[in-house]
Amino acid sequence: MPSHVACVMDGNGRWAARRSLPRTSGHRAAEATVIDVIEAARTAGVRWLSLYAFSTENWQRPDDEVDFLMWLVRRVVRKHAALLHARGIRCRFLGVADPRIPAPLARDFADLMTLTATNRGMTLTVAFDHGGRADIVEAARSLIRSGVPADAVDERQFAAHLPFPDTPDVDLVIRTSGEQRISNFMLWQVAYAEWVFPPVLWPDFRAPHFVECLRTYQSRDRRFGGVTPHANGEPHP
Amino acid sequence: MTDPGGSSRPQPTRSEATGQPGGSARPGPGVPPGAMFGPGSQFHRFFNDPRWALAMLRATVLEAAHPQVGAALIDNSTFVAHPWRRLRNTLVSLQRMFGTDDHARQREAARLNRLHARLSGTDTRRRRYHAMDPQVRAWVVATLFESSVTMCRLSGQPLDQATMEQLYAEFRAFLAALEDGPGQLPPTLPEFWSYYDHMVAEVLENTEAMRIILYKLFDHIPAPPLLDGLPTVWAAGRALAGPVVSAITVASLPEPFRRRAGLPEVPGARTLMQSTYTAVGLARFLPDEWIRTETLTGLLYLSPDGDDPRAAAFGALRERMKQAGAFVRLVTPLSTPGAPASPAAPRRSAAEFFTEVLDQTGDGYLEWPDLAAMAREISSRLDLDEPQETRLYDAYAAWWRELQAALDADGDGRVSRQEYAAAVPSLAGPALIRVAEVLFDVTDKDGNQVIDEDEYRALFRTGLRRSVAGSAPRYTRSAFVKDFLSFMSGRLRSSPYDPLLTKA
Repeated sequence: MPSHVACVMDGNGRWAARRSLPRTSGHRAAEATVIDVIEAARTAGVRWLSLYAFSTENWQRPDDEVDFLMWLVRRVVRKHAALLHARGIRCRFLGVADPRIPAPLARDFADLMTLTATNRGMTLTVAFDHGGRADIVEAARSLIRSGVPADAVDERQFAAHLPFPDTPDVDLVIRTSGEQRISNFMLWQVAYAEWVFPPVLWPDFRAPHFVECLRTYQSRDRRFGGVTPHANGEPHP
Repeated sequence: MTDPGGSSRPQPTRSEATGQPGGSARPGPGVPPGAMFGPGSQFHRFFNDPRWALAMLRATVLEAAHPQVGAALIDNSTFVAHPWRRLRNTLVSLQRMFGTDDHARQREAARLNRLHARLSGTDTRRRRYHAMDPQVRAWVVATLFESSVTMCRLSGQPLDQATMEQLYAEFRAFLAALEDGPGQLPPTLPEFWSYYDHMVAEVLENTEAMRIILYKLFDHIPAPPLLDGLPTVWAAGRALAGPVVSAITVASLPEPFRRRAGLPEVPGARTLMQSTYTAVGLARFLPDEWIRTETLTGLLYLSPDGDDPRAAAFGALRERMKQAGAFVRLVTPLSTPGAPASPAAPRRSAAEFFTEVLDQTGDGYLEWPDLAAMAREISSRLDLDEPQETRLYDAYAAWWRELQAALDADGDGRVSRQEYAAAVPSLAGPALIRVAEVLFDVTDKDGNQVIDEDEYRALFRTGLRRSVAGSAPRYTRSAFVKDFLSFMSGRLRSSPYDPLLTKA
C-alpha cells in the first residue's frame, strides 16, 4: 500500500466542454470527486494524501475563472471542515503565499489547519497556489539564511528546509484525464514516485478508479534506481 | 497576600471550626486586637470573595456618578481602552494599602498621592475637579465600604453591627493613611449612613463616566491578553454577559439614585441581581486556591507569549480554545460578504498605532492625559520614587509639547487620528529620544548603564531574549533607545514594548 498518494486533478475544463457547460461547472463537479477520493484513500489505509488544487501558474487563467475558483474553494473548505475534522483528518495547505488569495479564504485555510492540527488520522495536503520550484527556491533561501557551510548540505538537510518537512516522499501520483506532465508539482517529493495516468476526467473519477490506481501501483516493481532482485533470469515468485 | 487557612473569609461555620472567639466578626487570636490592616482585618475577608468583583464594579459606578470623580475619570483614566491593566493596578494598590507592611503602605500612599496630584482639570460644565480633593477621596472610600456592606446584604448574609463597625474603621484608617490625617469620612457609622444618603440624594449625577462604565465598557471591553487570539469566543461571551452585568449593577444601585439618574428598571433585574450575588457567594465553598483574587487577576494579565510557567500551562487550554474558535468561524454560515480585517501585519498602520498605543484613554484624541497614562503605567511598573518619577513625567510632558507643536494642525489643543496619520514621520523628534533616555535611566536601577535581567523583567514582565552565544543577556543604552524609537515611530509589532503599552 502506498503511504503517500498525490492526485493532480486534471480535466475539469474538458469535462465541462464535452457537456457544453461553462468551465466553472467543471470545477463545481470536481467537489464530489475530491470528497470521494478522500474517503477512498482513508478507507484504503493511505496515510498521506495530497491534492493539487491550484498552481502558481493557474493565476494566468481568466480573472472570472480565478475568482470563481477562490469562491468555490472557500465554500468547499467551509462546507466540509466539520466532516474532515470528525474523520480525524489533518488538513494542511501547501503554498498559499500569494497576496492575491482573498483574506477570508486565507483565514479559512488557517482555521482549518488550526482546527485539525492535532488530528492523527490521514494527513491531507492541499497544494494551493503551489509551485514545486518555488518550494525548492524557498528551501535554498532558508538554508542560506541558516548559515550552513556548503559542504555540510546533504539531501536530508535540504529537505528539512522544505515546507512541511515531515511530509514523506510521494509513492504514487495519479494524474487524471490522460495528460502526462508533472506541471511543477511537489518536484522534490515526487523524485521516485510511480505515476499512473487514468484517462478518466477528474469530475468522473470515483472511488473505484482510485482503488484501481492503487492496484496498478501494487503491481509496479519499484526499484529506486537500483536493479530488481529478480534480475538475471531468476523466475518471479 | 497571605490568607492563612481561609479563616478570614465570611463564613461563620468555618471560623467556629477554627476556634476563633466571637465568630468571624473579630480578628483571629494571632492578630493584635484593633489591627486595622493585614490578614486579620475585615477587609481581607472580602478581598478573596468572588462577590467582591460585583461589589467593586458597583462601587466604581457610584464613584463615577460623583461629578468630580466622573470628570476625572473621563479625562484621565485608561479604563475604557485598557480595563484589565487598570483593574490589576487597582488591586495591587489595594493590597499594598491593606497589607501588614507599614512601610509599603506609606510608600503606596505617597505614590497614590503623587499620581492623584497630577489629575485635575475642569469638566464639560466648567466645574473644576481635583483628584486630591478630600471630599472626593472620602467618597471613593465610602463607595468601597458601602458596596462591601451591600454585597453581603444582597446575597443574604448581612454583616452584624460589630463587623460593620470594624470594617468601617478599617476603611477610615485606609483613608487616613492616604490623607496622612483623619480624612473627611464621618467618625461613626450612623453619621456615615446619613452622609451616604445625602450624597446619593443630592450630589450624585448621571455622569458620562457612569454611563460609559454601565453601557459602553462591556460592549467594547477588550479580551485580556491571554485570550487575545480568540476574538470570536470573547465577543460571543461578551455580547451575552455585558447586558446582564449592566442590568445586575443597575439593580444593585440605591433606589433614589436610580430614580434621579433615570436608570432603567428592567423586569426581573432585581431578582437576577440577588440570585447572582447569592450564587457568586456560593463560590466560597470552592477550594481557596481557585478563587484567590490575585491568582485570577494574575491570570488575566498573563501574556500568552510571556515566559511565565502558568502561561505555558495555559497554552494547552488556549490551543483548544483556538481550535474551538476556528471551528465556530468555519461552521458559521457565510452571510456577510464583507471581508474581515486582514491578519495582523508586522507593522501597524498609523491609525492602528494611534488606537492601540497612543490613545490610552480611548476617546479618539491624543492629549496630555494619554501620555500621562503611559508615564503612570511605566512608573507603577518600575515602582518609581521621586525624583525619577517626576523626571519621567517631565520627559513625557516635553514630548507632548513637541507632538502638539508638530501635529496639532487645527490648533484645538489635541491631536486627532487624522492629524496624526497625516504627519507620522515627525514623531521621532528630540523630545521622544529624551523620553527613551530617561526611560533607560529609570529602568537601570543600579545605574551600571546596562539593563540586566531583573531590570528588564521589572519593565516588561518577561525575560530578556537570550542571545545565541549564550552569554548573559544585557541591554545597552543605545540598543534600548533604538528599540524604543523604532517601536514609537516605526510602529513595529512584536517588540517588548507591545505588551507594555498596548495590551489591555
